[in-house]
Amino acid sequence: MLNIIVISPFISALLIALVYLFNTDVKRYFFYTFMGVGSIFIITILSLLTLYETINGSGTIHTALFTWLSLGSFKIELAFMADRLSVVMISFITFIGLLIHIYAAGYMKDEEGYGKFFAYFNLFMGSMLLLVLADNPIIMFIGWELVGLSSYLLIGFYHQDAANIKAANKAFILNRVGDFGFIIALSLLFIALEGHGFTFDEIKANISLLDHSMLSLIGLLLFVGAMGKSAQIPLYVWLPDAMAGPTPVSALIHAATMVTAGVYMVARFSFLYIQIPDIGLFIASIGAASALFAAIIASYQSDIKKILAYSTMSQLGYMFIAVGLGAYSSGIFHVFTHAFFKALLFMGAGAIIIAMHHEQNIFKMGALRGRMKLVYITMLIATLAISGIPPFAGFFSKDAILVTAFAGEHYLIWTIGSLTAAMTSFYMFRLLFTVFHSPVEGRRALRNVPKSMTYPLVILAFGSATAGFLGVNEAYGGKMLINNFLSLPDTLHKLPHSTEYMIGALNVSLGFVGMLFAYKMFAFSKHEPTEELLFTRVASNKFYIDEIYEFLIIKPLVNMSHFIAKVIDPKIFDGFINLNVWFYLTASKLFTRLQNGKVRYYALYILAGVSGMSLFLIYKLGVAL
Amino acid sequence: MPDTNTLELTIFTILALFMLGGSLTMISAKQTYISAFGFLVAMIGLAGEFALLDSRFLAIAQIMVSVGAIVVLSILTILTINIKEENLPHEPYKFQWILLAALLISPFTILLYKALKTLPQQFTNIENINSKITGELLFTQWVLPFEIVSILLLTAMLGAIIIAKQKIKGEDL
Amino acid sequence: MNTDPFFLLVTLLFSIGLVGIISRRNLFVVYMSIELMLSSINLLLATLSKVLGDASGSVMALLLIAVIAAEATLFLAIIIHLYKTKNSLDSDNFIDLKEIK
Repeated sequence: MLNIIVISPFISALLIALVYLFNTDVKRYFFYTFMGVGSIFIITILSLLTLYETINGSGTIHTALFTWLSLGSFKIELAFMADRLSVVMISFITFIGLLIHIYAAGYMKDEEGYGKFFAYFNLFMGSMLLLVLADNPIIMFIGWELVGLSSYLLIGFYHQDAANIKAANKAFILNRVGDFGFIIALSLLFIALEGHGFTFDEIKANISLLDHSMLSLIGLLLFVGAMGKSAQIPLYVWLPDAMAGPTPVSALIHAATMVTAGVYMVARFSFLYIQIPDIGLFIASIGAASALFAAIIASYQSDIKKILAYSTMSQLGYMFIAVGLGAYSSGIFHVFTHAFFKALLFMGAGAIIIAMHHEQNIFKMGALRGRMKLVYITMLIATLAISGIPPFAGFFSKDAILVTAFAGEHYLIWTIGSLTAAMTSFYMFRLLFTVFHSPVEGRRALRNVPKSMTYPLVILAFGSATAGFLGVNEAYGGKMLINNFLSLPDTLHKLPHSTEYMIGALNVSLGFVGMLFAYKMFAFSKHEPTEELLFTRVASNKFYIDEIYEFLIIKPLVNMSHFIAKVIDPKIFDGFINLNVWFYLTASKLFTRLQNGKVRYYALYILAGVSGMSLFLIYKLGVAL
Repeated sequence: MPDTNTLELTIFTILALFMLGGSLTMISAKQTYISAFGFLVAMIGLAGEFALLDSRFLAIAQIMVSVGAIVVLSILTILTINIKEENLPHEPYKFQWILLAALLISPFTILLYKALKTLPQQFTNIENINSKITGELLFTQWVLPFEIVSILLLTAMLGAIIIAKQKIKGEDL
Repeated sequence: MNTDPFFLLVTLLFSIGLVGIISRRNLFVVYMSIELMLSSINLLLATLSKVLGDASGSVMALLLIAVIAAEATLFLAIIIHLYKTKNSLDSDNFIDLKEIK
């Protein structure tokens, strides 16, 4: 069954691509939709069946497709493993993926390259499932790379505009930089575990063979890969630019699934990370810094999709705080809830964009509350969820993370996390109020939003509202279902319930504070970010990070390439070869002069030879002169 | 005995000086006929050496052939060509060349001399290399080379005629 | 008397002849140097015949004189021919071996 789950998206992608390439002009709308959405529908059913089986007590499912490499004792199989972590992941990935596929069928309806889009989309789903269901790190890495590739293909989907291609390149290249660390980590791991097999189970069993410093190095380098994939500082700059792709792409890849691959990887390697809590603290710090940083920038952005992109980065920071501090289940739980409400937010944003004739600046929208009721209600639910207002999903997952931080006495991280929670609420409600409440001059006619786009919103809104109940803390009387189910090596904390209540109450109040501020500032008038103060100017320009990277990294590299191409290559390498040629020519000219046709000289050469031989003989025979 | 030795040695030395002087003149003279005269002197000296070595017939033959024919022929040819002084080969570095060649050849000379010195050092004083024995050997043991040499002389004569002959118009040689 | 001086004379004459071949450009001098070399070998043969008491050495020397005569003939004929073609006695002018066209 796992085989079908992974392979069918690839097969459908291939079929769609073949049919599409056969004749790119014919719009086979029905065929593409049927293949693209149908395959995802099938695998969603299969994933939920697998989940059901696993809940009912079957153990980890292993299926192998074929042996990929077999060199003596070194064997890599293309095999899949569905333990509890994987099963949870594939369940929500396929489910939300299915909803977004249906949404995309409506969103992309009149676009050129509709078939191409679904081919890429299915390719992405297959790659993500390959990543999650992989049995050994190498297959996971194949999925990791394929996901990056699909992201590149989809971001650059509107390839007529050169800026989109640049954004796609940026995403891929930064991903690559992260993958460099990942590959080194895998190689180190492989070398250290020589001869003991390389599937996740075997690595887990043999992890004690590595000493602490090696483990730290491997853990750090693996996280470098996660930094690139999950858009943390410093490899995050691709995420805002990736919003150049179509909105379903942003919803699926850059909100719900691909960017969470980093968190999944840390959770998968949890048996390694619990041994190196220092690296974990580093991971959590990076997560906290990214969260705060992104929240500040998001508060000054005007493009609706970019606000949501920075919001994703901020929430990913929370997930990394969780897995960094050892609360792996809480991290995965936040992935789970975040997928719901972030996908919903993106899909709603997409609906708004379509309705406003592809307008993306929130300050040009307003007073849509009455005109797009369904979208408004669902986005309100999602915004409440992301701000951590109970009983919506975000509260429980975020609360679990902050409690872990507080319990581990990482007060700085806890402070940053709480502050970011307030800011999250602020900028999300800023978005909501500006788009839906604030007054606007003149009313433009809205475009019709297809039903296939609005129905998934409802389902996701339901999920955002209720998914939190799967992981309610003990303190609130819940049973921590997800945490117990996942059975990851979490570090447990022993906080008294009263402290937990206080932290929870603080979170909620911070959320309300943010909401109130946003209400005051944005619900009644537009309050575009100006650039008067230095801080606002810096923040509006995303802290000039892109420009700094350009200056520090890109320009020197380009200049060095120029230098090598113009100076070193012609002068040194070609010059060296030219020197050889000159040498041969000169030597040959010299030798030509010896052959001048005069027999006298030839006799002289013979005499010289005879003389040399005589000298040698005199020396050898010891003739006394 | 010592007297004979010294006498022989003296005669030998005089003849040797003739030969060496003649040959040195030959290789370093500018005018061609002076080289020819030097050569002549060397050949005469050589004939004397042959006589000193009890090869009387050889000495006479040397004078008859080498001096009387070869040198005369050479001088004849030189004077026939009668090259003017300005047309002579222009040899500015003659002495440098001679010195260089002499330098290069000195190891070979030393080697050759040392090699020859290993041969038996005494002359046998037996009188069995006189002309009578030479003549007998020439026509008994050495008759084949003798005949071949006569053919060789014939061929050489023919060859010389052909080489030096001027082409007559219309005739194919 | 012993044979040392004779051998010394032989080698000296031979060397002088060799030097003459190499260092002079005048064709006659080249020819005469060759004759000198051959004559020095003649002297060697005669010396050795006396050393060994065998008359064959003299006979060989005799035959060698005949060969020298034959060779002289041809040599002079060639010199005349060469002078006729290039009107010069300079061996450096005859450089047709330099390039094979």
